[in-house]
Amino acid sequence: MTNDLEFFDACACIGLPAAAPVGVPDPPGASAEELLAAMDRAGIAKALVWHAAQRDGDPLLGNDLLAEALAGRDRLVGVWAILPTPCGELGDLDEWLGRAMAGNVRAFKAFCEQGRYLLRGEVIGDVVERLLAARLPLILPVATEPAWRDAYDLLAEFPELTVILTDLPSWGADRYFRPLLGRYPNVHVEIGGYIVDGGLEALVADYGAARALFGSNYPVMPHGGMMLTLAHAEIDDADKQAIAAGNLQRLIAKVRA
Amino acid sequence: MIAEGPLAEAFWRHGRCEACPVIDMHGHMGRWRGIWFPRPSTEAMIRTMDSCGVRLLVFCHHHALFAPDVGNDANIEAVRKYPDRLRAYMGINPNYPAAIAADLRRYDDHPGVFVGLKLLASYHGLPWDHPHFAPAWEFANARRLIVLGHTWGGSRIDGAEQVRQAARRYPDVRLLLGHCIHGAWDDAVAIAREFPNVHLELTAVPRYRGPIERFVAEGLTRKMLFGTDLPWFDPHHAIGAILSADIRDDDRHDILHRNAERLLGIADCGFRIADFGLRIKKRKEQENVTSAQEPTP
Repeated sequence: MTNDLEFFDACACIGLPAAAPVGVPDPPGASAEELLAAMDRAGIAKALVWHAAQRDGDPLLGNDLLAEALAGRDRLVGVWAILPTPCGELGDLDEWLGRAMAGNVRAFKAFCEQGRYLLRGEVIGDVVERLLAARLPLILPVATEPAWRDAYDLLAEFPELTVILTDLPSWGADRYFRPLLGRYPNVHVEIGGYIVDGGLEALVADYGAARALFGSNYPVMPHGGMMLTLAHAEIDDADKQAIAAGNLQRLIAKVRA
Repeated sequence: MIAEGPLAEAFWRHGRCEACPVIDMHGHMGRWRGIWFPRPSTEAMIRTMDSCGVRLLVFCHHHALFAPDVGNDANIEAVRKYPDRLRAYMGINPNYPAAIAADLRRYDDHPGVFVGLKLLASYHGLPWDHPHFAPAWEFANARRLIVLGHTWGGSRIDGAEQVRQAARRYPDVRLLLGHCIHGAWDDAVAIAREFPNVHLELTAVPRYRGPIERFVAEGLTRKMLFGTDLPWFDPHHAIGAILSADIRDDDRHDILHRNAERLLGIADCGFRIADFGLRIKKRKEQENVTSAQEPTP
């Protein structure tokens, strides 16, 4: 079974970061072409992709750069950055969402720490309501404690929202994410940063394989680490395949275009 | 299949590789305050090692580092239970100099248990050059012991400058830079090249793209040692990351086991680990004979 696993990476990035730590990663970023070449080497079929400029520069520029880079590349599915609506930066929300969907965007991401906004209804409620209606996932990076607090706040207000927690810190984060998995049925964990020994098996045993998504965090991390971890996790083969690709495929299939 | 080559194929198919028995030079054991570990027990760790093809783990129990009331007894107990799979670093907590002195006095009471010392200065709050560390450094230097030190870029406690001072002052210590002065890769490269007694221990390094290839390209392949912080990190993750790195299988053999075999004095990990305790005991007996022959002052 191991050799037959099909992978759909839930967390890959293209573009150059504004300030990657020296030597990590090396090279600091990847173009769409380079990402596809690395996916070919590793044996990854598809990837959900965001752009470094969405986080580091201008989210709207990053969205445009992503759309341009992904055009005609069906193996790469887009992630657009959201922004608060009170400033009017997204323009007409329905038109903005329509452009995203037309550009093969199937998930959105909130870089609230870099964007200096809160994940609350009065800030992003208009966007979240539309994501809920279209069953579109919102990806939340949770590398820091304030980010976890933001995630808790948002889910308390929008408990049905489909959320993918990503950028988990390398120190095991079970004490942060397990309460969310227990309370909110549409919360998922992208496991690229979740490397605690036995953690994946415990997550599957307690919450089911449907809550975990394979992610590589390429190009910051290499592909092989989490691939080998998942391939030899002590879980059912069907659960491995669900985590490797099936769960993300299911989330995307549920999106109402 | 992650990458090309026989090692990637073997690990991908089987999760381990008989021709590449992994030696993990940086482990811990037991529960710890900051993380919920699903597999913190000795038995669970051995099971993980089996599934990942890790033949030997050199570790320091969390209790030895964080619970001074317990100290190094937890290390001794675990190695005694699994003498063919485990070796320990004696944990050194500089906040308790009397405990250090007592531990070093009884170092020889446990042949085959300890291969050296473990420093976790950043967590203990005192720099490597603090006087409380001196007895441990001198003890290790006199015996040419391995010292695994947690090292981190930018730290004044166990960063590059402290490493340089220690490597220069204690040239016979076989110094393992735990985490490779994490993030300060230029310093790690420069120090490993300058000091023959310094080695690069890779825990938490392979998860990033770049440093593995950099160290190999700098000619440091034979100074790189595999480590995982087990039970913190799944060994398969680090192994998979090393398989992903753009290096040769020969380099991977060095990193995953050959360098550790040389450092520990084990010719062939797969067959000789069980003899390791006997070898240590024999050396100790020889040292005693030598010592008895020396003239008294």
